[in-house]
Amino acid sequence: MAVLLIKNGYVYDPINGVDGERMDIAVKDGKIVEDVDEREARVIDASGMVVMPGGVDIHAHIAGAEVNAGRLLRPEDHVKDVEPRTAITRAGVGYSIPSTFTTGYRYTRMGYTTVMNPSMPPLEARHTHEELSDTPIIDKASYPLLGDSWFVLEFLSKDMIEECAAFVAWMMWATRGYAIKIVNPGGLETWGFGGNVRDLNDEVPHFGITPREIVRGLCKVNKLLNLPHTIHVHTNNLGVPGNCETTLKTLMCVEDLAEDGERAIHITHCQFSAFLGDDWATMESGAPLIARYMNRHSHATIDMGQVIFTDTTTMTADGPFQYGLHLLSGNKWINHDVETETSSGIVPFRYRRTSRVHATQWCIAQELALLIEDPWKIYLTTDHPNGGPFTSYPRIVSWLMSVKAREEELKRMNRRAVKRSVLPTIDREYSLYEIAVITRAGPARALGLENKGHLGVGADADIAVYPLNPEEVDPSRDYKLVRRAFSRAAYTIKSGEIVAKDGEIVKAPDGKTYWVDVKVPEDLWEAVKSEIAEVWEDYYTVRFSNYPLTDHYLKISSPITRQARM
Amino acid sequence: MRVVKDVVCPFCGCLCDDLELEIEGREVKAVRNACAVGEAKFLHYGKHERTRPMIRKNGELVEVSLDEAIRKAAEILAEAKYPVLFGWSSTSCEAVRVGLQLAEEVGAIIDHCSSVCHGPSVLAIQEVGLAGFTLGQSRHRFDLIIYWGSNPLDSHFRHFERYSTFSEGRFRPSISRRSITQFLSTLAERRIKRVTRRLLIKEREEGFYFGARRAPSGPFKERDRKLIVVDVRRTRAAKMADFFLQVKPNTDYEIIQALRMLIRDMELDVDEVAGIPVEVLEELADILVNAKVGVLYFGVGLTMSKGKHRNIEAAISLVRDLNARAKFHILPMRGHYNVTGADVVITWTTGYPYAVDLTQGYPRYNPGETSTIDVLLRDDCDAFLCIASDPVAHFPRRAVENMLKHPLIAIDPVVSATTLVADVVIPSAFSGIEVGGTAYRMDHVPITLKKVFEPPEGYLPDEEILKRILAEVRRIKGKAAEALVPAGA
Amino acid sequence: MATITLTPKYSFTVPVYAPCISPDSFAGKTLKEIGELEVWEGNRRKKLKQLFDIKGKTADTPEEITIKLSGNLWKVRRIGEEMTAGKILIDGDAGLHLGVKMRGGTITVKGNADSWLGSQMRGGTIEVMGNAKDYVGGAYRGSGVGMRGGTIIVHGNAGYDVGEWMRGGFIKIMGNVGAYTGVHMQGGTILVQGDSEGRIGALMKGGKIVLMGKIDSILPSFTIQDLKKRTKVEGEAVEGPFYVFIGDLTEDGSGKLFISKKSNPHLSFYERLI
Repeated sequence: MAVLLIKNGYVYDPINGVDGERMDIAVKDGKIVEDVDEREARVIDASGMVVMPGGVDIHAHIAGAEVNAGRLLRPEDHVKDVEPRTAITRAGVGYSIPSTFTTGYRYTRMGYTTVMNPSMPPLEARHTHEELSDTPIIDKASYPLLGDSWFVLEFLSKDMIEECAAFVAWMMWATRGYAIKIVNPGGLETWGFGGNVRDLNDEVPHFGITPREIVRGLCKVNKLLNLPHTIHVHTNNLGVPGNCETTLKTLMCVEDLAEDGERAIHITHCQFSAFLGDDWATMESGAPLIARYMNRHSHATIDMGQVIFTDTTTMTADGPFQYGLHLLSGNKWINHDVETETSSGIVPFRYRRTSRVHATQWCIAQELALLIEDPWKIYLTTDHPNGGPFTSYPRIVSWLMSVKAREEELKRMNRRAVKRSVLPTIDREYSLYEIAVITRAGPARALGLENKGHLGVGADADIAVYPLNPEEVDPSRDYKLVRRAFSRAAYTIKSGEIVAKDGEIVKAPDGKTYWVDVKVPEDLWEAVKSEIAEVWEDYYTVRFSNYPLTDHYLKISSPITRQARM
Repeated sequence: MRVVKDVVCPFCGCLCDDLELEIEGREVKAVRNACAVGEAKFLHYGKHERTRPMIRKNGELVEVSLDEAIRKAAEILAEAKYPVLFGWSSTSCEAVRVGLQLAEEVGAIIDHCSSVCHGPSVLAIQEVGLAGFTLGQSRHRFDLIIYWGSNPLDSHFRHFERYSTFSEGRFRPSISRRSITQFLSTLAERRIKRVTRRLLIKEREEGFYFGARRAPSGPFKERDRKLIVVDVRRTRAAKMADFFLQVKPNTDYEIIQALRMLIRDMELDVDEVAGIPVEVLEELADILVNAKVGVLYFGVGLTMSKGKHRNIEAAISLVRDLNARAKFHILPMRGHYNVTGADVVITWTTGYPYAVDLTQGYPRYNPGETSTIDVLLRDDCDAFLCIASDPVAHFPRRAVENMLKHPLIAIDPVVSATTLVADVVIPSAFSGIEVGGTAYRMDHVPITLKKVFEPPEGYLPDEEILKRILAEVRRIKGKAAEALVPAGA
Repeated sequence: MATITLTPKYSFTVPVYAPCISPDSFAGKTLKEIGELEVWEGNRRKKLKQLFDIKGKTADTPEEITIKLSGNLWKVRRIGEEMTAGKILIDGDAGLHLGVKMRGGTITVKGNADSWLGSQMRGGTIEVMGNAKDYVGGAYRGSGVGMRGGTIIVHGNAGYDVGEWMRGGFIKIMGNVGAYTGVHMQGGTILVQGDSEGRIGALMKGGKIVLMGKIDSILPSFTIQDLKKRTKVEGEAVEGPFYVFIGDLTEDGSGKLFISKKSNPHLSFYERLI
């Protein structure tokens, strides 16, 4: 293992309260250490550069059944963006749904080192992990979709929280999952018959349970299991005008489950869930409402879900939403319902500046990020590839850091949308410190990844060095330099090794896969196991013994052990 | 004797994972739960003639060491300017992953059996999408099942029982296993009735179509799940159907388009479509729009009839349109047990599912240009590697003739038409019996294959063979690169 | 005018990708520099001069350049890719993707052309004296964008899917065509002087297809609208009479099919619906 010394950089390490101080970072055996012998170390001269912990993405669809179906659907997306092989890297393609190897390289070039893959149908978990093991360099983890699993619905409808928790713990092991993902709770099961739920209190047919009970139930389960992350929620009515109300209700329904300052829920790609209005003609931003709520409460976190004006591919587990989008756009449509568990859909989509709705969506995400005062509550995402490819993160950084950059963008946008938005009146500009919060420290803390997102002694040596001199460059004025710097890290260091230099991959080691190994009381699990084993073959077309995957599917398995609070 | 449970059947796209084997020594004594083919696959597993490592020297295949065969294969590939690596659908995903590395290293086309079966389905999906599902949905929810150009009773034997017509699900409890036996016993009776009825009704054209039977008899009385079969001949599945539409060969497209018109409540200018009276199609359209949750399974009968991917495009569009009235799905009936897996692995690595050309260092894709049959018909390639497939027996004659003009490498556990005419033969272990690994069911559900026996001495897994070829190719290329560097540089 | 002549040095056995053979990439270069242009022969990176004898005179702008190719070019693909001006003359057969994404200038082929002739073309003219294969003026897989402008004239027959996803421009096939002419067509005009194998205009949303020869049947998703004596194609009158169909109704399309009445007496039953 290499010994590194990164000298004289401007260090931004929010978890340890370091705000642009010039200091050295020492690395040994893949970890940050107090000090190293300079004579033994490879010295990286970072003077005039920004040093941050490696980026942490809390929500990007990079692998698994639906991502791959998206790739298959879009040869026209790949043909315009190819990645030839080199002596070190494998060949691949972009653009909105890059192939696995390309995904790893492109994140690395941007200085990102940890990526969370947010929707894994448990039945197809093998697929997700096979792809992740072909996604080099970055560390990753996946969230199994559990909000519409029959077993979960049944346990919760009978108010059997502990049993449900034991089942979820088993699922985390069986699928090597990291957090509970809930997508349109109740809606996906209903979509099996072509329906959807419209309100938190709608009953899910055949199951006698409501979305509210699912969210609350799984929130309790999450707490019992002591999972590192909170429940990760894609709300009901996503992408529907007026859904701001649903989102606020969802946030409120778990308020009482959070004890002093503890977090209970993460609302993902919040932009898509912050629409006001009765229909598309009256649709407008609900971001100020959500921001006000977020500013007054501390039990929730969100991520942006910024849209980018480009041609991208939308994919979510929210089958009914995707069908609606297909009807709206007339574009090709893939649906994939997964028995007993979930559904998913894929529709290629182009966000246009000239569209009032799309321009409003762009504004909503910006408003959320700028109106929520505490950057530790909101994280930068595009819900890749739903709002746009992850390669556009540097642009979002530049918008957040510069009123001028936003104005440039607003100038070219649909006028009516801009007129109705509060965005032009906001003059907040993110500092580099705050950017470090929303792109690494914040997500790492929300995910409970103790060794990520900071540069304190003992942390994983995942480091990004950006060619940007904060003494010389004014991000507000020279936002283009900021964008360029964040697109191509001068150095990306992963587990103490230099993996990219000046935006070129110099080494492509394998990354780790995190999953949560929760210990639940043995007798509880035995009871639950016999209960589920009894009906398993009636529910699934795969045998119980063939369902869980083996460690063989993870290149570097990295379990995080937790003790359930039972 | 030992009993192995929950074994995965490495035969068709159904990938049944509930087989039980009774094993004595190296022999399978009994197979439970499997279909006839699955059973035979295990029972006769030891009786095949296995390949030996061989190289063609002076026109004759001579047995050599495994290392020599691998070295020869690597030499051929390293030298080739436009090699094709074909097969993949009957081996594990792990092998395909190494295959892709090899294709990148030598600069080859990688293609698999999709190219000659469901490739058109992929092209259609790329035009219009696909309303898919996993097979459990079929079992739990669907009340209308259509097989179009596919006869599962002869190709996917347990599809009926496990996933569709005869399966039992949470919301579809009306048919139990019990009723199957009952049904089969009444089959003969029903056939007699039908013949009598046909004589009475005197259908307009002899044997041309059957209308819906409005009052089904026997165990189907209370059932709420309908079966429709569309085919060019009256298959065994057709005989069980509630509604059978016999179409003339190569007229599927017209009929699907007519159905699409009818379900949109539009009138047709014509009285009959491809020889089928519009009233019959109206009857069928009625059943379609009155379903709650339906599915259309299509087979090679649709992908390979005239129009190919256009047929599938129309079928997918029909299903898409139906979603405005009911929940509807569509799924290709994939043949080989891991043809879906090959699709999946190649897609995540290169972005494209089959016919991927890596000759220029990055993936390019254009079936018709980069697909194996077209490459062979144009006589473009100059070396051919075939793994876990038998193209010599199945490809068009002209394609095979062109294939045989150039060096041919065959990796296969058993002797086949291809291994007999190959220039290099590399023996491998049986995937799914002697080697584990991952395979994908036709609905994209990944399942881990079980290793039941140790492979015999000298028979390596495909993955291992490919890794060795890859290492050898790298060695050869490394040497060539060294030779280019002037001495002392 | 400057003419550059390219002759293959040997008979190619594997595909040659030579998008650089176009007036645009030749313009402003000396013959030596042209010889250094990169092509792919199978999986080997080659220089143009390794595969072709290059002779003639160069010029500074593509407009002034005429490229003459002779010999067997059946394996040479993507000639004239994205060309904007100038001329390419091919004395023989041309391989796949001739004139793909072309924007201007002219390409003339004395022999036959392989599939995807003028695929995704935006302007200019391609004329093929022999036959063309499938996807004349077609789209890339899944993109839904075919030919958008320009003219393709084929003196012989053409294969399947002529004008697939066509959005503009004009295609004239003087011989017969395979099935699915104008499939997914959104705009533009196709004139077929020979017979069609069927399924003409499938899934079309707009545009116009004129068929002078025979066709067995019209897809059921089209409806008859009119019987017209003549129609105009590219400003010129074409004598009929024609049955005029509208479709494809399954795609809510309003494309028009003009089918010759004379060649298709078996379609006369439609007349009762007019």
